[in-house]
Amino acid sequence: MEYGPREEETFSIDLAQKGLFVLNEGNYMYGNASLSYYNPASGEVQNEVFARSNAFPLGDVAQSMTIHGGLGWVVVNNSGVIFAIDLASFREVRRITGFTAPRYIHFVSERKAYVTQIWDPRIYIVDPVECRITGYIETGMDFETGSTEMMVQTGGYVYVNCWSYQNCILKIDSSTDAVVARLEVGIQPSAMVKDAAGKLWTMTDGGYEGSPYGWEPATLSRIDPETFSIEKTFRFPASSQPRMLTSSGDGKTLYWINGGVYRMDSSSDALPVEPVVAQHGTIFYSLTIDPLSGEIYIGDAIDYTQSGVVLRYSPDGQLLGSFDVGVNPGNFCWRAAQ
Amino acid sequence: MRPAKFILPVLMAMLAATHSAGAQNEWWNNDPSYVTPIEEAAVVARRPLGEIGQQKTELDSAALKLTVSQSMADVLTFNSSIFVKQYGRGSLSTVSFRGTAASHTQVTWNGMKINSPMLGMTDFSMIPSFFTDKASLLHGSSSLAVAGGGLGGAVLLATAPEQARGWQLDAVLGAGSFSTWDGFIKLGWGNSRWQLATRAAGTLSKNDFTYRNYKKKEYTYDAAGIPTGSYYPIDTNRCGSIRDVHLMQEAYYKTDAGDRLSLNAWWTSSVRGVPLLSVDYRQGSSYTNLQSENTLRLVCGWNHTGQKWLLDAKAGWLHTSQGYDFARDKGNGTMAKMIESRSLINTFHAAAQAKWFAADHLMVEAQLAAYQHFVKSQDRNAISRAAGDAGGGRKIAIGYEEGRFESSAYISAKWSPSRRLGISAAIREELYGESLSPIIPVLNLDWLLTNDLTLKASVSRNFRYPSLNDLYFLPGGNPDLLPESGISYDAGLSYYKIRPDRWVIKASASWFDSYIDNWIVWIPTFKGYWTPRNVLQVHAYGIESRAEGKYKLSRDWMLEGSGNFAWTPSINHGDPADWADEAIGKQLVYVPRFSASATGALAYRSWRLSYKWCWYSERYTTSDNDMATRIGRVLPYFMNDIVLEKKFGLRRTSLSLKLAVNNIFNEEYESVLNRPMPGRNYEVFIEITPDFSK
Repeated sequence: MEYGPREEETFSIDLAQKGLFVLNEGNYMYGNASLSYYNPASGEVQNEVFARSNAFPLGDVAQSMTIHGGLGWVVVNNSGVIFAIDLASFREVRRITGFTAPRYIHFVSERKAYVTQIWDPRIYIVDPVECRITGYIETGMDFETGSTEMMVQTGGYVYVNCWSYQNCILKIDSSTDAVVARLEVGIQPSAMVKDAAGKLWTMTDGGYEGSPYGWEPATLSRIDPETFSIEKTFRFPASSQPRMLTSSGDGKTLYWINGGVYRMDSSSDALPVEPVVAQHGTIFYSLTIDPLSGEIYIGDAIDYTQSGVVLRYSPDGQLLGSFDVGVNPGNFCWRAAQ
Repeated sequence: MRPAKFILPVLMAMLAATHSAGAQNEWWNNDPSYVTPIEEAAVVARRPLGEIGQQKTELDSAALKLTVSQSMADVLTFNSSIFVKQYGRGSLSTVSFRGTAASHTQVTWNGMKINSPMLGMTDFSMIPSFFTDKASLLHGSSSLAVAGGGLGGAVLLATAPEQARGWQLDAVLGAGSFSTWDGFIKLGWGNSRWQLATRAAGTLSKNDFTYRNYKKKEYTYDAAGIPTGSYYPIDTNRCGSIRDVHLMQEAYYKTDAGDRLSLNAWWTSSVRGVPLLSVDYRQGSSYTNLQSENTLRLVCGWNHTGQKWLLDAKAGWLHTSQGYDFARDKGNGTMAKMIESRSLINTFHAAAQAKWFAADHLMVEAQLAAYQHFVKSQDRNAISRAAGDAGGGRKIAIGYEEGRFESSAYISAKWSPSRRLGISAAIREELYGESLSPIIPVLNLDWLLTNDLTLKASVSRNFRYPSLNDLYFLPGGNPDLLPESGISYDAGLSYYKIRPDRWVIKASASWFDSYIDNWIVWIPTFKGYWTPRNVLQVHAYGIESRAEGKYKLSRDWMLEGSGNFAWTPSINHGDPADWADEAIGKQLVYVPRFSASATGALAYRSWRLSYKWCWYSERYTTSDNDMATRIGRVLPYFMNDIVLEKKFGLRRTSLSLKLAVNNIFNEEYESVLNRPMPGRNYEVFIEITPDFSK
């Protein structure tokens, strides 16, 4: 192997079968992020598919992926770029640059998408067809520490949790691209999902000990998007570090990692006591639920500097298998069968 | 890997051999020459009593003074087998011995440790080689003779007085590729008692080299916007500018009674860009990505040489203020600061040392050193407290402010019971804050097998205490960290032979075996920041070897060379992180298994051609040593540099011109993953040394 150009590999994925993309963050400032593709039906996994297909690496810190318009939109945080790839060949077909540190992309329409950032309080408005930044949503946070994270849309409003050194959810009118309300939910809301009843759920991590921003127990809160108010809040023990809030395909069940993987009915009035998947000599790093089968997929980063593993469990927590992926599998994206 | 890279040293040797026969012409009177007497240039083989059993490499002064633009990182790259990790041209450069980490290398300047108490390591790219008169390496347990914590070894840097009578001046000006300017001036004055010198050096570089970026692709399109092809673009190194200034003042005074007083002050001011990764798509012009440093190192010393005693006392102060600024243009010309970190370090140092020659073959040595560190580290990027919290709405910085007292005591006895045998036993004890290290014993042995061949062996324990960032950095510092501990064995042979004014050869090879427990690694937390933990148990072992020689072919011709080779497996034997952990039994990340370097110089009267070569084997970027990856490989590379010099003997001035060609084979390579490195580049230098005695 020589330093220099690479050969482009040809992939032709059967789109009639659903697939799972695994975003391997890589190590910060290494530039070794990668994309893996897994076929649950065959159990086949292909690693580094972006680099193999395009003959250049994905970049530094793969953050998230969204499928829209028949393309996979991969947000590469510390490279400041979003690649749109063909879902069958993994070839790059579009590229958007000009960001500070993009985190997630959310499509409002065919010609408008929002891109959240860290180290930049503005939500970028992009035209995904022309691949250009068309404007910004000002959030009122200061430039130094303002950050925006996940986006969930209900009706004409997009809700955004503000994580790093922040404590609120923003409500954005997607017709005017303006923040119309904000709701304080606790220190550092790290994730947000929508349940079957159309309610929003957000999880705060509570910050860290010694943080000048404050430190408090993590919480899980349900928000009514209509009234934009908190309906109920569950507080975790101070020693807990819950994270990776996600939901089942039907939105009736919430999942998260807190050492093991926990599951809670979205209508429940109490936090679960026992995990559905206990931690047995594993370090659960990321989580997704098969939207159709309800199988639980957990990313294991091991020591954070080697190829990770994804563990596959049945809905009742029985280990079904595992497959090797890239360094620090941190996020997932399901592609439905066509 | 091209054969041409090996040819040049061979050609130089052949050229030398060709000319040696016909080089009996008359001495070129009054012309400066690079051909020096072998006696003066040779390194003495027989060890002083104080260096019994030590694995020590002395760097040749000619290597230090080769070009004004080189840093100590460059010198060590080509003149030793230790691993120099360079994050780019003019960027952070760390060194590590024997498969250990950069923080396991202790660095002293004129006897004072200069490792950052925050980070534990030293950036060798910030040390210009022209500011160093003496440099030596103490490998493995040999470093315990000067300091604890050098699990890999120690680098000793020092200045030395010229033996000047009257005024001396040396001035160098250099210009090179990538809009690079280097300057150096040294003004000295001396008499039988005083030696005074002032040095200044500066570097200014846009450092905007271009390179073929194989980590990105651009596409070509037809008139209808349909892609027709793709190519790897030519990119420019972004945000990598350099502006360094160094000033040094030295004063030495000696008495007839054997006392010497010294004062060394070295001030550094540096503003450097931090180059963007080759996988970064952000526009360099829209960003400020700068690190700045202002450092003052001050050491005052006294030593006394008596018939039975050598006494030495030092006091020093190290002051460093560092900054890192990451800002972006908001689009309206104003810069928004995203990171504004600042740190302030003040270290006060005092040390005393006594060597007592109790008998002809017995020396007892005692050392006591103390360091008081005060560190303030913060990200000034003030954040607002959460509303409702005490002080809500108030801006506050994130960081820590801590101090730590460190002291180290050392006592040793060195005994040479016969001409052939030398034994040294020593104990070091260290205090870090309120933690007292276990006793650190060291045992060294020298055995003169023949008049030319010496066997050396040593065994020791060692400890390295966590840095202040390891303990207190916010967020992530871990005050519960344990010190890293090690046991090290080594044994080796050293060979030395000289034929006065004809040739000299010196060679050494040593085997080492080290076990390091509680190796500290920073790992991510689930809250988005990193924290250090005692994770690894490492077995580092291997072989280091070095050979150097000089051959005076005739009065006009001289050939010199050196070569280094190291085999350094550094294996993780820690507990598996979990059942899927594939890292156990594997080489540590960014530690090459093999490294080698060589230098050669051919001098003909006032001409000299120098050649530098180095090679590192693959550095793994994953702890499971994944070789199947297409994106995480840092491949082996060779580096070849050449310098041609010519001295002119003018009436009252010596003048020399130098041309340096770096990376002469225009190799495309990375030293660290996705950090671009420059291709072939050039530098020219002019040096003027007036002779005030005429």
